[in-house]
This record gives sequence, C-alpha cells and structure tokens, in this order.
Amino acid sequence: MKKYFCIILSICAGLLQAQNLLIKNGYVMTITQGNKENMDILVTNGKISLIQNNIPSPQGYTVIDATGKYVIPGIIDAHSHIALEVVNEATNPVTAEVNVGDALDPLDVAIYRALAGGVTISHAMHGSANVIGGQCETIKHRYGAVNPDELRMQGAPRTIKFALGENPIRTHGEGNRITPSTRMGVEQVFRDAFTGAQIYQKDWDDYKKGLRKTSPEYSLRNETLVDILKGNILVHCHSYRADEILMLMKVLKDYGVSKICFQHVNEGFKVAPELAAFGASASVFADWWAYKFEVYYSTAYNASILTRNGVVTSINSDSEELIRHLYHEAAKTQRYGDLSDDEALALITINPAKQLGIDHRVGSLEVGKDADIAIFSEHPLSVYTIPQVTIVDGQVRFDIKNDPDDMRMDINPTEKFSSFYETEKDHESSGCLKGVAEMLMEDNYTRYMRFKYSQNHSHE
Amino acid sequence: MNKFYFVVSAIYVLCCTAVSVWAQNSDTPKQVSNTYFIKNCFVVTQPGVVLSGQNVIIKDGLISDIGTGYKPPFDAQIILADSMYVYAGFIETYSNTGIAKAENKERVKVQNPGNPPNEQAGIMPQILASDLFKTSDKSVADMRSAGFVITHSAPRGLMLPGQSCIFALGDGQNDKMLIKAVSGQNFQLEANRGVYPSSSIAILAKFRDLYKNAGIVGAHDEKFKLNPAGLSRPDYTKELMSLYPVTVHKMPLYFVAPKTKDIHKALSLRDELGFHLILTEVKQGWHYIDKIKKNNIPVLLSLDLVEEDKKEAKKEDKPIIKKDSVTVKDVKKPEKVEKNIEKENFDAKKEASEKEYLTQASLFEKKGIKFGFSFLNVKQSDIRKNIRRMIENGLSESYALAALTTHPAQILGISHLAGTVEKGKLANLVVTDKPYFDEKSNIKYVFIDGKKYDYTDKSKKPDTKATEAGKYSGVWTYVVEVPGSTQKGKIKISKTNGELKVTVVDDSTPNEEDTASDVNLEGNNLTFNITTDMGQPMKADFDLRFEDKTYTGTVSVGQFGTFPIKGDFESDPKSN
Repeated sequence: MKKYFCIILSICAGLLQAQNLLIKNGYVMTITQGNKENMDILVTNGKISLIQNNIPSPQGYTVIDATGKYVIPGIIDAHSHIALEVVNEATNPVTAEVNVGDALDPLDVAIYRALAGGVTISHAMHGSANVIGGQCETIKHRYGAVNPDELRMQGAPRTIKFALGENPIRTHGEGNRITPSTRMGVEQVFRDAFTGAQIYQKDWDDYKKGLRKTSPEYSLRNETLVDILKGNILVHCHSYRADEILMLMKVLKDYGVSKICFQHVNEGFKVAPELAAFGASASVFADWWAYKFEVYYSTAYNASILTRNGVVTSINSDSEELIRHLYHEAAKTQRYGDLSDDEALALITINPAKQLGIDHRVGSLEVGKDADIAIFSEHPLSVYTIPQVTIVDGQVRFDIKNDPDDMRMDINPTEKFSSFYETEKDHESSGCLKGVAEMLMEDNYTRYMRFKYSQNHSHE
Repeated sequence: MNKFYFVVSAIYVLCCTAVSVWAQNSDTPKQVSNTYFIKNCFVVTQPGVVLSGQNVIIKDGLISDIGTGYKPPFDAQIILADSMYVYAGFIETYSNTGIAKAENKERVKVQNPGNPPNEQAGIMPQILASDLFKTSDKSVADMRSAGFVITHSAPRGLMLPGQSCIFALGDGQNDKMLIKAVSGQNFQLEANRGVYPSSSIAILAKFRDLYKNAGIVGAHDEKFKLNPAGLSRPDYTKELMSLYPVTVHKMPLYFVAPKTKDIHKALSLRDELGFHLILTEVKQGWHYIDKIKKNNIPVLLSLDLVEEDKKEAKKEDKPIIKKDSVTVKDVKKPEKVEKNIEKENFDAKKEASEKEYLTQASLFEKKGIKFGFSFLNVKQSDIRKNIRRMIENGLSESYALAALTTHPAQILGISHLAGTVEKGKLANLVVTDKPYFDEKSNIKYVFIDGKKYDYTDKSKKPDTKATEAGKYSGVWTYVVEVPGSTQKGKIKISKTNGELKVTVVDDSTPNEEDTASDVNLEGNNLTFNITTDMGQPMKADFDLRFEDKTYTGTVSVGQFGTFPIKGDFESDPKSN
C-alpha cells in the first residue's frame, strides 16, 4: 500500500529533475514555422535550445522517442477557472481590487486532467458576476507543486475580467436591486468606475506634487482601475451580444484603453470587421450556446469568420471537462469554416498566447521559447488522436504510460470518497457563475421571508 | 496610556472569597487560609527538570518557597502530595475561552451588500476581548479543570474580530482576571456570506486597503499631534486607529491559518506588508517549515487533530466503486474475492496523509521551532489525548510540556510571570497524581493566583451522566420546517459505556446515516451537531428540549438561519 503512495510521489518529484530533454524523431508542428518531419527537439534548462534532424544525445539528457508521433506546442486555454479556491466575489458590481491569484489551488486535480489533454497553460479567471470583476492569473500547469506561487507564470502580464449582459444584471440588478439592472446600467458602471479612478489619480498626483498636505485615502480598487487606464492590465471581457461588444469598444476608446480580448463573444461574427479595426481579439467556444437567452444567436462558424476577418481568435474551455479536449474543439473549425491545420491549431496555441501577452515565450515551437510541449499519437486535429506526453518547462508532467487512476495530491485523512467521480458527481459545475448561483437562491429565500413577514402583519 | 502590561497582583486573592463564584468542581466553603503547603511532591520546575521530595509553599498568591527542608507555616493548609507531580499551570496560547458564542441572530438585510457596515463585514478590530471575557462562561471552568491557568483569548467573529487579551482562568470577577490588556490583532479568512468581503480574495484585498489606510491615518495623527498648523483634523476612524499599531510593528497579527494554502496566504501577506506575524491554528504547516524557521515566525499548532475514525471506517467499508476494481479473470474461481485496488490505494493514501498530520509537531520540534498550541476547535476532553497522539508520533514529552508552558509564555511575552515553577512567581500550578502525559494520570488540584481548585473528588460525575444518558434512548421522529419544504426523518439515541450516541437519518436519504458529534445532555436539554458535505462542510446545530415522549427545539444551519424542529418518541432501540 505504501508503495503506491511512493510511486505518486516519485512521479511528482522524479519528473521534476528532467529539465533537459531530447525529443527524438517526431512530426514537429511548430505553428509559426511550418511542419517538420523526423525532427528532434533539444530542451535545455526548460527552454527549447535546438530544433534539428538527428541531434546526438548529450549526456544527462532524458530521451523521449516520438517516432510516429506528433509534437506540438503545449495547448493554451485563454479562459478557465481551474486551480482556484474562489472564482467570484459577487457582492459588488466593481471588484477590480480582488485577485484570484490570491487563491490559487495547486492541489486541484483538474490541473492534471488539463495536462492529460495537452494543456500546459491556462488563464485562471475571476467569474462573470461583476461588471468589473477581479484580476486573473496566467498559470503554468506544474501539477505536483504545493506552493501556489509555483503555478504562476512569472512575468506574464496582469489581466482582469470584465462582464457584460445577463450575468452582472442578474447578480446585482435582480439579486440586490442595484445598478446595473439593464445593459445601459452596465455601461454606466464602467463609466462611473473609470471616471472615479481618474479623480482618484488626480488627488494622488496633487499630493505627490505637494498641492495637498495630507494623503488622500488609499483604494486598491482605484489603484487597479488606474492601472487599467494606463494600459498595464489586459482586459478580458465576458460578452455575447454584438450591441454590447460595440458599446464596450466605445467606452474603452473614450478612456484610451486599447488592449481587449472579448471572451465567448458569440455574436462576434456580426461585428468581426469592427473588432479587427479596434485591434480587439476574441476567445470563443467552438459550438456551445443557447444555455441562456442572450446566447441563442450563435454559430459554429464564429471562430472561422473571426479568423478570416483578421481577428486574433482562440478557442477556450471555461470548463474543467472541455479543457481536456480543446484539440477536438479546434478541429471543429475545419468542419465549420474550412480553416487550415495551422489556422485551427493557432486557435489553441499562439493565438491565446497573444491574448495573454505571452506569445514571445510560448505558443509555438521555436528555439528560445519555453519548453511547453504536447506529444500526440495521431495528428492533433484527428478525432482519433490521444495525448501521450505533456511537458511544462522541460518537465514531464503527464505521461500516458505512467498515469495512475487517482492523482489527487491532498487526501484528507477523513476523506470518504475513493474516486474523483464520487467527490464531484453532486457538485455545482465550475463555470463563470460559480458561487453566485447559491447566492441568487438565498436571495429568493430572503424575499420569501419578507413576504411571509408582511403577510403575518397584515392580518393583525 | 498604551501600557500593555497590567499585572493583576495579589489584591485579587483578598477579593476572591467575597465574590459570588461559579466554580464547577470546587464546592468549597470560604477558604480559611491563603497559605498552602504541598508536601513531598515531585516538582517539574520546567520541561525536563524534575525535582523529587519537594515541599511547595504558596502564600498570598505567590510561590513563596520550594525545597526539601521547609516546614509548613502555622496557618497553612497541608496537601499531602506523596508521589504527586506539580507543574507550572498550562497556558492556552490561543483560544476563545471565556468568550461566549454569538447568539444566532436573524440575518440582517444589508442595503448595499457591496459596501456593508463594518459590523456586517466582520471588520471589528476595535473590539477588546477584555470587554467580552466572562469567568462564568462554561469554557473557563472546563479549561481550568484540564489544568489550564492562563488563556490568550481572542474575540469570536469574522475577518477582523478584535484584539485578544491574556487572562487568568480563575473564577473571580471578570476584570480581575486580566493579565495583559492587549496581546494582538486577529485576522481570519472568515466571511459573512453575501456581503463584501464574502470570499478569501476580497478579504485579502480589503485587508490591504485597511492596512494602508491605517498607516496613512496613523501617520497623519502623529504629524498632527506634533504640529497641527496647516493640517486638517485626522480621521479618527476607530477601525483604522486600532489597526495602526500593527502597521508600525508595535502589535503582532495572529493569522488563523489551518491548511497549507491558508499558511501560504499568511506568509505572502506578511512578505508584502511586513507586519509581525504569528501563525495560528496551524494544522498542515509542514510545507512551509523551512520558511517559518528562517524568518523566525512564531507558530501555534492546532490541537484539533484529525479524528481517529477507525471504527467509522470499518462501518463504511461497503465497496463504493465497482467499476475499477480488478476482477479475477479466471471464471472458474468466482469465489476468489474481488480485490479493490482503488480502495486499497485510497486507504494507503489516507493513512499516509493522517501520518503527516500526526507527525507535524515532532517535525517542528526537530527543526527547533518553539511552538505553542492553539485551542480554537478542540474539545476539552481531547486535549491530552491529542497531545499523546503527537507524542506517539515522535514529539518528545518535554517539548510537549514546553508547548503548554514555557513556549506560550515566551510567545505571549509573559515569561516573567508564568511558564515555570519558580520562587516568587504567581502560584499558577497543576498537581497530578501521575506524570501528566501518563494515560491514567488525573488532575488533583489546580492553583490559580494561589487559589486552590480541588478535583480530587470527581468519581461521582460520570455515574450520574451515565444514568442520565439512558433517559432518552430510542428512536425519535423529527420534522423540520424550512421555507418551502418540510424535512422528516429519524433521530436515534443510544447509550454505550455511558456515552451518548446520536445518529440522524433523513427520509429523503434513508441509507445515509449521519453520526452526531459534540453530544451533550443537560437535564432535558440535548444538543449535538451534524456535519454534512454539501460541496463545503455544512454544520447543523441541534438544540432539543424533551418533554416526556415529545420534544421541541431548533436546528441552526450556519448563516442560513435557525429552523424549528419537533418530534415524538417512536420506539426503543431494540425493537427497531
């Protein structure tokens, strides 16, 4: 029994040592520099140091035979909520100050599941309950680490979540009877927040210039908003409808913010030229819609139309299940829109890297980039393909040949369930409104109680 | 006026006989004399040092002499303590002892949940434990009977519950128990659901905000006091003023951080803001042991150890998963038992995990980290049992004793008053019939500020409990009215070895039986709680009052509210 536990530890620990790798004889799909047959990739200190035929194996390098297999850059998911203890701080329409990076969960087994789908990086996002939600964290899937800091992709730009439409309206307007209760209200929340931040900034500038003697009040919320206005934080906005997408671009233009990635953006196909002209990017589902009213007008051609209009487009998961087969999701764009292999694979590699501001380090197989690599049994866009090995920073974090059933890291001594399935089957899904659904319910309860109270008293 | 030390001196001893007291076990009449002579005992003066054949003289609340040669003073009460052990009284390094649990209030409707009043948000750093501490609270007598003489007690609450103080665990007037007026600010990742900050990420963000603004306001105040010319009046917000000492490192911050991720949050926030951190209620601290050691961060390990549930485990032994179990392929021998590899692996992992929790204390000892214990969630009856489990897993007895005496005294800054048995120190002592860590040892006397609490006569107590316990044995129905639905089920009460056992089965899930914990019967009042996993652990507190063959009462489910419950006797346990 003990032996088994040791095996897991050794997988977690032993694999970490191999930062120097030689991947032999694979079909290398670089994404940016074409495909290369029978090619070797040398990985030194976690970086790709050479891509060439027949590299002689240096001493101390672990060799991985990729003969007959497909080698692609690690898949990147621009929208997920895995590895997070908290997704929503749903109490206020603007919570720019909160940061899901404060609640990273390296023990979340969903990271391992993502690795099993060839995904090496994901954008762990705040939820969509608020108009301006919290800051997000770009994480590397270093499953096996215990310290949350080890998940962070050091040096990745700061990002923040915005949300339009029904989610913030339902949470705050319907839930708490405060603005926004309409789409117009959502726009006003943005404008009020940004204007407030400008005033805040002026107060502090005056103080620093000596124009006022005492320090203004400090506000982490306004500090963050000021950073957005300065362009130091990339905006990722939950959105569906074309009208509100245009609205946000107008608001951002008014406040001089240029970097924006629209998330979901189901009606993006209607405003693709406008998105391209603004320089906005889009991160979409392949074929997922109609789960609420504002998401009915959708098409599986969305990614293709956006791509052909020159919008940097990615396909994301927003789900700890979908993240395991993003390559299938990308392949759907060949059925719906005839994208080329490179175009389809770019949707889950270099394009999400661009949207997260990390394309100079990851997203393609090039010398000097991080050795985030996924090896597949078949062409990655084939429906028959199975991920074999997933490498993060030169370390093998998933190997299908060494893949025990239960890869949970932190088992509570009093844990009742022996399988992940048992633990999860009755749980709330981990989507954008995680943690909020209950709150809405609770509010119905409060309303009920108030109703009951008033009834009792009217009879007196 | 910021004097941190208020030493309550021997005046207290003169008063304590006059006040009407609430002592659990000491039904002693007025004390004849304040002088005691503990004759011929072993004295553990400090961890690892045992002196034999000692006589200890207690006079006017102080240890006036220890040695082999003394004779009892003329007015002394003599305690024959042959083969008994005298220890320095134990110290709770962190607890809520003496501070009552908040009553379950009706949920307040907050006008704007995004910006609630500080009270709703749990931001109460101005609250003082000394305004809440009551010697009449049951916990005080409970802890005293377990050998504890001093507690460092924090207010209960949410994110910033207030300032903790150090108290003697005597039974006198509340104010007179104060040893140190303010010991620190307290911080925990506890939120009020539905109002800001409602999550750990918002609690941390809000704390950063408060911390920075406390620094700004405090600095403004100091500048203003020096020379107000040209300055506006400082904003004397009580919350910020109370936090200011933390920002200038004049007051430590006790950060309640049980699990590994909580500890990471505490350490990161300390690195970021620079306050003086004391890690509290640590259960899973081994991942950060090197960092804790390197930065010399005081640590209080939780005494709420993982429960030994071997019996429970056996009961639940029904195979949950069949799919992944390996079936023996040879069809001819079907009787060869299915070997559930998944279950085996799971049990092995659980065992390894349990071991990590149990060996934590010894790991900290090996690193030479001086830790105390924190007592937030441990039942009084589990204290020594859990320390013994730590000892069985490698902790040395002298280090365990140090964690109850000398280490807390150092961490709390009261080494000059407490922690060791020394001439001249306050007479805070525990007397046991065998070495304290011996399984069969009993506490005989506890002295607090020289006042004797006698526990020699406790044989009757379990008996009465045992007969009482049987009173309500049987199967009872229950009906709980929650808005929109009515929940029904059965409560089974049984008695084994004088211990009450309560299980609850809801009609909607007839195969799932929940075993209650913290079962307590007083008169006709039965209380217990059930914890179920609804994505997160949810605790339901039952409070029932029996009346012949029926009962009524309430069930409180955290912040969801309190609901009425009632039921009738159905059958006795055997006929079921």
